[in-house]
Amino acid sequence: MYPSKLLLWLLLLFLNNSLLGQEKTSSPGGQISGSLQSNANFFVRDSLIGAANIPQYDRQKFGADAWLNLNYSNWGFDFGFRFDVFNNSNLLNPTDSYTAQGVGMWFVKKQIDNLGIQAGYIYDQIGSGIIFRAYEERPLLIDNALIGLKLSYQISPNWQIRGFTGRQKQQFDAYKSVIKGMAFEGFISSAKDNGFTLAPGFGIVARTLDDQSLGQLVATLNTYTAQYAFVPKYNSYAFTAYNTLTKGSVSWYLEGAYKTRDAINNPFARTVINKDTITGDRFINVPGSVIYSTLSFSGKHFGLTLEGKRTQNFTFRTRPQAQLNRGMVNFLPPMARTNTYRLTSRYNAATQELGELAFQADLRYTPSKKITLNINVSNIATLQGKLLYREIYAEVQLKLDRKRILQFGVQRQEYNQEVYEYKPQVPMVRTITPFIEYQYKFSRISSLRTELQYMHTGKDIAVGYGQDYGSWAYLLAEWSIAPRWTFTASDMYNAAPGRNSPERAGKKLNYHFPRFDVFYSIKSNRFSLSFVKQVQGVVCTGGICRLEPAFSGVKFAVTSTF
Amino acid sequence: MKNPFIFIALLTVLFTACKEVPPVITPLQSDNNGQVVPRRALIEEFTGVRCVNCPAGTADILNLQSIYKDRLIAIGIHAGSFSLPYTESTIDFRTEEGNNIINLLGRPLGYPSAVVNRKKFDGEFNLQVGRSQWAGFLAQELATPPVIDVKLSVTYSKISRKVQVKVDLTPLQALSNPEIRVSVMILEDKIVNEQLTPDGKQPNYVHRHNLRKMLTPYDGEIITNLLKNVATLSKNYSLTLPDGWFDLNCSIVAFAHLGGDKLEVLQAVEAKLF
Repeated sequence: MYPSKLLLWLLLLFLNNSLLGQEKTSSPGGQISGSLQSNANFFVRDSLIGAANIPQYDRQKFGADAWLNLNYSNWGFDFGFRFDVFNNSNLLNPTDSYTAQGVGMWFVKKQIDNLGIQAGYIYDQIGSGIIFRAYEERPLLIDNALIGLKLSYQISPNWQIRGFTGRQKQQFDAYKSVIKGMAFEGFISSAKDNGFTLAPGFGIVARTLDDQSLGQLVATLNTYTAQYAFVPKYNSYAFTAYNTLTKGSVSWYLEGAYKTRDAINNPFARTVINKDTITGDRFINVPGSVIYSTLSFSGKHFGLTLEGKRTQNFTFRTRPQAQLNRGMVNFLPPMARTNTYRLTSRYNAATQELGELAFQADLRYTPSKKITLNINVSNIATLQGKLLYREIYAEVQLKLDRKRILQFGVQRQEYNQEVYEYKPQVPMVRTITPFIEYQYKFSRISSLRTELQYMHTGKDIAVGYGQDYGSWAYLLAEWSIAPRWTFTASDMYNAAPGRNSPERAGKKLNYHFPRFDVFYSIKSNRFSLSFVKQVQGVVCTGGICRLEPAFSGVKFAVTSTF
Repeated sequence: MKNPFIFIALLTVLFTACKEVPPVITPLQSDNNGQVVPRRALIEEFTGVRCVNCPAGTADILNLQSIYKDRLIAIGIHAGSFSLPYTESTIDFRTEEGNNIINLLGRPLGYPSAVVNRKKFDGEFNLQVGRSQWAGFLAQELATPPVIDVKLSVTYSKISRKVQVKVDLTPLQALSNPEIRVSVMILEDKIVNEQLTPDGKQPNYVHRHNLRKMLTPYDGEIITNLLKNVATLSKNYSLTLPDGWFDLNCSIVAFAHLGGDKLEVLQAVEAKLF
């Protein structure tokens, strides 16, 4: 545990100075700001869609998550403080309940001439995050802050070096392994007008395993036969070099990273135990590498982005036993489009740390102010060439007049559900999803937006039904009365049920998943009340995904900034 | 910034110059580590017929049992989201006690998952731990001497199919724990039935160490005060094996454990019916 007295002192400091700040609103110095995000879930059991058999549906009925963030600046210092609450929360483990509350984050920052000092909870990244990223993603309850110390030094106006050391946050505790690193970044500009600029960088991160984690690893390795056993190391090092070259409208980012030999978990390892071949978790001792590049052109009417990434054995965790989205030291950039429509975002490509070869192209063409075209193509395969994910997406936006906007397009997806969701013997999910959105402004304050989508899913020949949950139709109507009210009603309908759709008496059901939302905004406060029936799916932020069970119930949320 | 590469070179050297002394890998021993009363550990494996990766977890546990022999007692509990039987299943492995136990111990984030000695290990969110951690935690637990000894006497009549169980609990030191309980279970091993595996549904899969019923409440029977007055506390239980249970593959598991906030297993024992 962290010194409670220090936290109390910080809290008192905030309270004291926020009061002082209010009293001295006209005086220079103290400034306090903050935000609140809170969600309350009321769970209504619906065993037919799979919203059952977890504590919240069975007995707890209510769950809540909240984050209160406060920032205060004075005397050349910056202070940050966050109070987190989880009551019967399903965020940490969607099939279980998590209850805890306490100080989720605090920091103190000070700039002394060229030296920057930060102590406490640090959010930072090196390059694109391939060797180190300390970040937060609340929908997945990822909070990978580094608890420790960060120093930065401005060597010259264009060159900076920074170093940090600490341990990764683990809810209200910390992992025991120590993480340390440095980054050296600069900026070079050619003397000529219309010349080029370079933003090079170099980073190193080292992770030292704690004795307990290594002891457990050794105990596990001792159960391996000689062909799989290895001598693990306490320390693992990751290096990266990166640069952004910019000339005119063209920008080129290139990053190469290497990680020294390290014990990582291979969830697809084939292991022979007592003459049986088992597929599943086994530690392997391998080095890792990533090459990542982005080339983009941005013109007046035309924009193009090309991306490529090759990943091999780049699992970098606080300890090798950490799995799924826990204990990640780094972040591998996703290589597929971030979709926003309900059906086009149903299947997502989670980043494959052990190996993937991915390409993406995104083209945007705006021939006039009224027309925008967008085409996106992505292809992700294993290093052996097996297809994991492919998407072709085309969208047109037409501003018909001042009152009407029409948007339509189509998406084609191929999704390797067997790999992404660990579901053996299921075929590649193939979908075609046309969609159309129409927005009409009745007046300056009143508008109606409608969406219609249909996802056609290919047939799973082995079972005679559609793949996964089969085909879906989705309809949404959203009425906004600016600036306060928004009312939304939608329904996701399992038009042609698939192999995983619920069934009764041997007959697949065409199930509805309706949702109704009311949003109310006043000044910087926003309230929402929703009735939700949601099918099981995969929820992703960036390239990090997890399986999310079905939801049935009522959600209430309040967000506020001050 | 005239020569940034000096910094890079310096820092690279700082990070990588030190060689480390590697850990020693030695095969695990199944002996008693010098303990007079050998410590035995309990691993409760949460599984289900729809859990594709669970057979791999079971194989791991069997491998660990081949190392630790009778010092590792495994229980397969069919509960949670993957335990719903298939239409092809001829046995519903789920039990009321199993459903209560998964609620008591917490649900896994992913499968395979098991609870080792019902202990919340340092750095873990709850009692459920993934497959890659079982061996490490078991080694840690088995290295700790027991504070209580648990012995089993089982008598079984093949004619009446009646099972009589006597559990003897002997504290090996003064126990200051606020609440001590005893749980007794009956397991049936090697049941052939439907199971999802990476190669698809297998009708002839052999389900191992399955929890069939408990002879005590699912969360154990409180014995804290009873233990204080005697050197050895004896508890008796009985059960008639239902039809369909293959007696040769049945065994009794008894374990002493804590109650209240902590649920740690202090000592466990397993005995076949005959």
